[in-house]
Amino acid sequence: MGTLIERRDPLTQPQGVEEGYALTALRWPSQPLQRRPLTASELGGPQQVLRRLAPVRGDLAGHGAKRAIGQLIHLRARVVDEDGAPVGGAAVEVWHANAAGKYIHPNDSHDAPADPNFYGAARVVADPDGLVELRTIKPGAYPVPDSKAWWRPPHIHFSVFGRVWLSRLVTQMYFPGEPLNESDAVLNAIRDPQARSRCIARLTSTASSHALVYEYQLVVRGRNGTPSLP
Amino acid sequence: MKRAVPTGEMTLGPFFPREFGQGANDLTSIEGVKAKGEIIEITGRVTQGDGAPLDNAILELWQADAEGRFDDPLFLGWGRAATDASGVYRFRTIRPGAYAGRAAHVNLLILFSGLMRQLQTVMFFEDARDPVLDAVQPASARSRLVAVKEKDGTYRFDIRLRGEGETPFFDD
Repeated sequence: MGTLIERRDPLTQPQGVEEGYALTALRWPSQPLQRRPLTASELGGPQQVLRRLAPVRGDLAGHGAKRAIGQLIHLRARVVDEDGAPVGGAAVEVWHANAAGKYIHPNDSHDAPADPNFYGAARVVADPDGLVELRTIKPGAYPVPDSKAWWRPPHIHFSVFGRVWLSRLVTQMYFPGEPLNESDAVLNAIRDPQARSRCIARLTSTASSHALVYEYQLVVRGRNGTPSLP
Repeated sequence: MKRAVPTGEMTLGPFFPREFGQGANDLTSIEGVKAKGEIIEITGRVTQGDGAPLDNAILELWQADAEGRFDDPLFLGWGRAATDASGVYRFRTIRPGAYAGRAAHVNLLILFSGLMRQLQTVMFFEDARDPVLDAVQPASARSRLVAVKEKDGTYRFDIRLRGEGETPFFDD
């Protein structure tokens, strides 16, 4: 039986200051991160954040005359721990740009049209198999402000609450076959090619006449099921 | 037998939905039930390497209840705040109790664009013996993890991500 939380693997996790992503050199600490003993405080965690955060619809695409513009997709994402065990009941937050690459956010100054039928944010709960399902549209690429023509590839943001404080996962999911994936400074901060490829969703063969279906897996830190506090 | 590698963390970005960042920074009641304990406010400014404040940075807080318990059904112990345009965040909570070898503290994590991984830090209420505080090197940096109690009773805890007076952050 391993320890509940193992140290991050530098090959499969970003280092902090990343080549091609100038803001990291302004915001990531200059001093080495501190090591600390882990106690009940770090190895416990809020078990019921949904008492504080109300679920928000998992349908971002709308219907009929209120359909968002863009390629309709179904996304089936599974939340598991390092044992591959499903994390049922996990709260998952999702947000992404519209098909033109514009976020619904006052700080987004990108000159692209808003889509009145696209909401852009969801908060859903994983079922007992760890599965969350989303109906949305494929987001567009967009240029990073103040960068030299760095365009982010289409991506979907995920924020996941695992079972303990140190299981918290915030990441981004990418789409297969996108040329911008090759040069993206965020995706390529994951140096291990296999780990990087796992950040790209899989297009399934189950596409219906309505939508393309993508599958994805979100692995949160931690093992051995629900931990007992030390 | 290990079967799955944790997904690579990536930046929250600058466009975390406003409505997700709001409405969760008051821990003093849950579902209309008030928590037991001394109500306090924790506030501070989050700044980057050149001293500029960060707008829409997300902070999440995790703490024990007033008796040092983490499993109090009447106190969730978790909250989230977003910084405003001047970099200021604010939590309303109750002062946590000490427990089993740990001094009173709150855990904080910070998410934002330019941070490829979550940054973890801890706020203490006073310079006390604590295994996490005592682990910080050099020892002279430990005082940066101790909040300043203002005249009005609020606890001020500024967070400098990088540069002079840099806040100690933890890797685990």
